[in-house]
Amino acid sequence: MSGLRLVTVGGMIAYRALFNWTRPALFIGTLFIGPLFQLLFFAYLGRQLRVGDDQFFLVGNAVLTASLACVFGGTMAVANERRFGTLGHVLLSPRSRTAIFWGRVLPYAGNGLLISVFTLTVASLMLGLSIPLSALPGLALAMAAGSLACGFFGLTLGALGLRFRDVFVISNVAVAVLLLLTGVNVPPGNLPQWMVVVGQGLPVTHAAEAARMLAAGRGLDAAAPAIGQELLVAAAYAVVAALLLKFFEAESRRRASLDTL
Amino acid sequence: MESDYAIEADGLRRSYRSRTGWLRPRLTTVDAVRGVDFTVRRGELFGLLGPNGAGKTTTIKMLNTLLIPTGGTARICGFDVEKQTREVRRRIGYVFGGDRGLYDRLSALDNLRYFAELYGVPARDQRRRIAELLDLVRLAGREQDRVEGYSRGMRQRLHIARGLLHAPEVLFLDEPSIGVDPVAARELRQTVANLAATGTTVLLTTHYMAEADELCDRIAVIADGRIQALGTPSELRSRADGRRVVEVEAYGVPDTALAALRDLPGVRETAVETRGTLQVLTVQSDAHVDVQSDVLRELAGIRLGRVDSREPTLEDAYVTIVNAS
Repeated sequence: MSGLRLVTVGGMIAYRALFNWTRPALFIGTLFIGPLFQLLFFAYLGRQLRVGDDQFFLVGNAVLTASLACVFGGTMAVANERRFGTLGHVLLSPRSRTAIFWGRVLPYAGNGLLISVFTLTVASLMLGLSIPLSALPGLALAMAAGSLACGFFGLTLGALGLRFRDVFVISNVAVAVLLLLTGVNVPPGNLPQWMVVVGQGLPVTHAAEAARMLAAGRGLDAAAPAIGQELLVAAAYAVVAALLLKFFEAESRRRASLDTL
Repeated sequence: MESDYAIEADGLRRSYRSRTGWLRPRLTTVDAVRGVDFTVRRGELFGLLGPNGAGKTTTIKMLNTLLIPTGGTARICGFDVEKQTREVRRRIGYVFGGDRGLYDRLSALDNLRYFAELYGVPARDQRRRIAELLDLVRLAGREQDRVEGYSRGMRQRLHIARGLLHAPEVLFLDEPSIGVDPVAARELRQTVANLAATGTTVLLTTHYMAEADELCDRIAVIADGRIQALGTPSELRSRADGRRVVEVEAYGVPDTALAALRDLPGVRETAVETRGTLQVLTVQSDAHVDVQSDVLRELAGIRLGRVDSREPTLEDAYVTIVNAS
């Protein structure tokens, strides 16, 4: 029970403490308006270049919009401890690191889901895309899986912040990589094989694939394997993040690498 | 596992290795702590004094599990700091001085709520415990304010409240009064004294001798990574017995004059403390030698303020110990 409190209550307080974009202007501007225009940009670019139809860009990019909040949020969940000088106090906790840091991912995943739903809704209304009502629960599931995978991916990057000071550089690159390799804007068939292989291990790829199937009316049965793969990717990053956090904490005790406490 | 001692350090060592250069990397090793031995009884208020870079903070970080010793062992309430970290962390609190170490965007209440979760305070006890601590550190009524608007003294008091959330048996206070105003520092000393009175073991590092003299049951002076002296404040003061101190306020004393003071017959120690443009020179001499007139002669032509001759204090003893290291 107390472990659950640490994950939920602790996660929410940590979100408010560490997320840089909680002020209303930043929150709305950075997480809603910016991603919406990014989505529209790719949708109109797609129309211009005739690479894919509106549904291809709109649904894929709606899943991808979660990545900004989740990848940067997951990174901030660890790296901002350095900024506030609180890392030492967190590491002095006798409680499970895994529970502390996994709990921090959940609010970002929820945040990402909210952004995906918002951008999909607004962009569909603007571009006149109709999605079957029956697809909505499945779409929500696919987006939630994508957001969760992005959050744990961000936490993995954040774990590197225990060792490397400028970890946000990596997050910036990671967001650009997601834009290219997840098949959201460039169909996998048009990418070199190695990029497709890398994309399979990234968050969003499978969730976007599932969301497209659902939006096309193919039903949850058809999309379930892709959603399952996305959840597997999320689980894999959750494990990698936990292992990295454990390793870098042990390393910091040995090598005094956390000089800023 | 019960132990008579709250803290036991046995031959504690810590070296830092750093690597510089890419093409021809060079490894440098610095021995920050070179074999420290001491014990602290349960309920004792123990001071660790020393100049900057002496090894105080490194020693505390080894004791509170943030650093692994490169040699020796340490135990907190009988638990090994390297291998039984979880047991140790349940029993310790850590407070350090300065502006950082709190979540600025959160209120004091939310900071305490979060660390109550991290430090395993049961949910049913959190509200009561936090209210008690807010009262103790005199932040009740301001707990809903964001920490970013707090003064340094208020932050420092919140640091202490955070360190006490889980009622630790051992509290490490690493220069808690650094940068706080005299009134806040006095309140802080009172809080620390109250803690010790309730049976909490406190290990305090500070630069302020008066603070250590007033609070500590025993003091260890650490310099160059080793304990140079250990005893009660009065035992340490006796290191300067048989001496006399001349204290001179001066402005713009050149190094040559300071060197000349050190060479005067009967002078045992000299120290300079700079406060803005003012320099306070402290000259210790053998008690039977009156060096005041010689000191003033060496400072001829320099603008002087108050000149005083007095008995040695703990600070003078500290200077003697550190200079001898």
